[in-house]
Amino acid sequence: MAIGEQQTREEDGGADDEFEANVGWRYTLGRIKSDTTARFGLAVIALVLAVTVITAIDTHLSRLTFGALDDYMLAQAAPMLDHPTRHPDPGTSERRMPPFFVDGGSGSITDNPLGTDEAGRDYLTRLIYGTQISVFVGLTATAIGMGVGTVVGAVSGYYGGWVDDVLMRFVESLYAIPALVLVIVFTVLVSGNNPDITYAAVGVAITFIPVFARLIRSRVLSVREMDYVEAARATGVKDRDILMRHVIPNSFAPVLVLATLQIGVTILIVAGLSFLGYGAQPPTPDWGQMLNVSHQYMLSNPWMSVWPGVAIMITIFGFNLFGDGLQDALDPRIK
Amino acid sequence: MSEPLLTVRDLKTQFYTDRGAVRAVDGVSFDVEQGEIVGLVGESGAGKSVTTSSILRLVEEPGEVVGGKVRYGDRTLVGFDEAAVADEDGRPKLVHSEEMLSNREMREEVRGNEIAIIFQDPMESLNPVYTVGGQVREFIQINRDMSKEEAREEAIEMLRRVGIPEAEDRYSDYPHEFSGGMRQRVLIAMALGCRPNLIIADEPTTALDVTVEGQILELVDDLVDEFDTSFIWVTHDMGVVAEICDRVNVMYLGRIVEQGPVDEIFHDTKHPYTEALLNSIPRPDRTVSDLSPIKGTMPGAMNPPAGCRFHPRCPDARRACREVEPDLLEVGLDHRSACIKHGEVGYWESEPLEHTEAQPETVEGPR
Amino acid sequence: MSLLRYTVYRLLQAIPVMFGIAVVTFLMVNLAPGDPVDYMISEELASEELIASIEARYGLDEPLWRQFLNYLGFSWFLGLLGVPGFADAPPGLLQGDLGLSMYYDRPVSELMLTRIPPTLMLVLSAYAFALTLAIPLGVVAANRRNKPTDHISRIIALFGVSTPSFWIGIMLIVIFGVWLGILPTGRMVYPWRDPAFYGYGNHLELWYQTLRHLFLPVVALGTLQMAVIMRVERSSMIESLQSEYVQLARAYGVSERTILRKHAFRPSQLPVITLIGLNLTTSLGGAVLIETVFAINGMGRLIVQSIQTLDYQLILGTTIVLGFVFVIGVIITDLAYAYIDPRVTYGEEA
Repeated sequence: MAIGEQQTREEDGGADDEFEANVGWRYTLGRIKSDTTARFGLAVIALVLAVTVITAIDTHLSRLTFGALDDYMLAQAAPMLDHPTRHPDPGTSERRMPPFFVDGGSGSITDNPLGTDEAGRDYLTRLIYGTQISVFVGLTATAIGMGVGTVVGAVSGYYGGWVDDVLMRFVESLYAIPALVLVIVFTVLVSGNNPDITYAAVGVAITFIPVFARLIRSRVLSVREMDYVEAARATGVKDRDILMRHVIPNSFAPVLVLATLQIGVTILIVAGLSFLGYGAQPPTPDWGQMLNVSHQYMLSNPWMSVWPGVAIMITIFGFNLFGDGLQDALDPRIK
Repeated sequence: MSEPLLTVRDLKTQFYTDRGAVRAVDGVSFDVEQGEIVGLVGESGAGKSVTTSSILRLVEEPGEVVGGKVRYGDRTLVGFDEAAVADEDGRPKLVHSEEMLSNREMREEVRGNEIAIIFQDPMESLNPVYTVGGQVREFIQINRDMSKEEAREEAIEMLRRVGIPEAEDRYSDYPHEFSGGMRQRVLIAMALGCRPNLIIADEPTTALDVTVEGQILELVDDLVDEFDTSFIWVTHDMGVVAEICDRVNVMYLGRIVEQGPVDEIFHDTKHPYTEALLNSIPRPDRTVSDLSPIKGTMPGAMNPPAGCRFHPRCPDARRACREVEPDLLEVGLDHRSACIKHGEVGYWESEPLEHTEAQPETVEGPR
Repeated sequence: MSLLRYTVYRLLQAIPVMFGIAVVTFLMVNLAPGDPVDYMISEELASEELIASIEARYGLDEPLWRQFLNYLGFSWFLGLLGVPGFADAPPGLLQGDLGLSMYYDRPVSELMLTRIPPTLMLVLSAYAFALTLAIPLGVVAANRRNKPTDHISRIIALFGVSTPSFWIGIMLIVIFGVWLGILPTGRMVYPWRDPAFYGYGNHLELWYQTLRHLFLPVVALGTLQMAVIMRVERSSMIESLQSEYVQLARAYGVSERTILRKHAFRPSQLPVITLIGLNLTTSLGGAVLIETVFAINGMGRLIVQSIQTLDYQLILGTTIVLGFVFVIGVIITDLAYAYIDPRVTYGEEA
């Protein structure tokens, strides 16, 4: 190669020889592996997912370290079942008991360690089972929003013209309405004033269409102009194939980062929704809904308000930590 | 000859990366006299820009100047002393010498008012959210202790001098309203407006097209006559060197391989790398088939080849080139070359290297 | 393009989005299963005449497309132009009329008028709080990149992004209101009222009390924004500090302090401004929760009440107005952006 021709703007003295290696999956994974924060985030996510899976299985096995599940899960009506439990009937155990380390608590770490709720159910057990709802909605809503948003964004960016105008104005309108408000209105009205977590998941997914659509659209706009796409079109490759083979795979990495961060946002929205009473309905244990109930007992037992918030915080923290690490790994420019 | 304006001796700068230290500048020495234009030539990655930012002590993390001496007039910009304590290898540890200027002195007494710099990319070098004139004015104001009004007058004057039409009106325009060539003129006005004795021009015409490049070179020529400013002209383009420089330093992989007056370098080339550089530029008296690009690419500075760093690509390489690290040797009046062809270490007795095998064999470096 | 022309251009651009907000909300509310009238009256009382009279009162007896035109206020214009069939069409959105609240039996616009100022006060104060903390912290973190200060502030910011604002509110109430008992946790005081209304002697005391009352809700609502802005400020400042124009300023002997405050700072504000505009919708959503926790009678609480009472007209009106507030907020931040970045009005965006 002639010297005069190979002038680039890369910095003198830098080790540019491995520039090629700085993209691609193996490199990304390598960086995540070496990044402490991303690893820590991954560990938190793994823990949360494990808890979800175990509790999902355990719902029918009715046993967990802290006692018979049905007793503590269901409303106070649950009668004593055939099997022996280490705990007294939830209907008769002390209600709104503070955690073990506080005066008036159980005093033992194996016995209602975080106290009991307004119906005398073990708080830690409900907290652990509350993971299910958050993770379920977080994953499904993000997945649906990502799917629909990708299609909207890809179509909008690829076809341009009036299709783009109409879709983008629609997407912007959707974005303008606060997500929480949109989800509440959607949940209440569509369910016929019978809100349920399934409606909430769909509602959150709708509010995610704009963020994913805009991201994909901007990627499409940049890829559309590339020579190889022009070439593919010139040789008669179908539009749909170009989108599926070139555009969408090319956008995968940033979408993944966004999705990871959106899972955290979902959990935040759902917590707010349940706090207002439009998310998961009792007796299903859910963190936001637990905060809704505990809000009434803020004066008599503030501890009840502490734990669900901590649980939400740790879970979202895990997803955000991982999302951050992923972003750093994909964009080594800023660290 | 009197004391040079700038002396650089054995300058060493390293970058610390995950995979070890990169010796981007590895023992560079050259002088700049008052009123002359000194070229610093080489491929990208040769360490030219790092050399200039080391002189101004502007190397940023993870880089660090680790050795050598830079004197500007009677001031020491970079200097090291051997400390009483030894480092882990048992060699005496190098500490900054006492006479070396403090960071504050560097900033207030040297940067801008004594040594100014012009960057490669005029598109990125101006702040997009401030007016062009305001940026020129600010630098003049801090470097010449002028009042805001005086600096403004001076800035407009300088913009006019570098050939910006209607300078007064364009003073309050923003960078995006200027073309690339015009922005480069602004950067030159900035440098000259601070009245430095030395201007470091870091590939100032690389991003411009050829006609604009010609205009800028002409402008610099005129301004040098007028202000008697010295230049260090960093470039990869031997054509520009021929047009503008008085003396040339050719760099390869962090080292200077040949230095001397521009005529000597062009007409009595002593180093095979310089020769290869000259052969790779198109000239009107030759056809395209006469062009002979240099084989291969420059290896990274992480693991430089043993012996002469150029030997894997050198058409004249012999076995001895793999073993002997060449020093800069006097080959003419004020003309030095780092090639053992000109020394007495047995180049002529050793066998020529076959280039097909030369490449893989370079892996055995000093540990 | 001058700043004035840019303003007009942005306002014109906002029209289709505002129209879109109205369409999306109208369709969502009206296409949902369930009939507003059913929720208003119990089944035993429902007679044909009663239902018909209620439908007529709220304009629900007309076909949906006609209801939509009525709601937007197009019908009123058509009536004005003498189009047959629209002669006595009611005024709508374009005329500033958002219909009658079914629950309160008062005009929706009238209900909202007293509810918008508290929400604006809360949201703007939260942004003021967020910006005064986030900008300096972001700059410091960028300047001490990968040093302990940076790591600590990054972790704090990450926690800020991960914590529900309403839970922060509850915790603040527990700590400052219940446990320490040093700050009020409810019964918001509004500075535009007469001091005598609250039993305060003068306006100074009223202002002081307003600040005291605002403190906890503002911290609760502002923490998320603070964390988000800090993260963006940090990364854009890092980018700015590595830019060639900052290197040039260094090479000309500009002090680090001036570089931080001027050369690197101003360009690094651009992403922050964009973010503030886009995140306004998150803050308005957060205000719904914070107003509920701290019992502030703003728009957020009005929305929650409208949903509890299934007051269709009120749901519709409040949602649309919140969307409009966001659109206007984005335009204001866009103008701020154009003010800082001369390239925008130069026409690169248009």
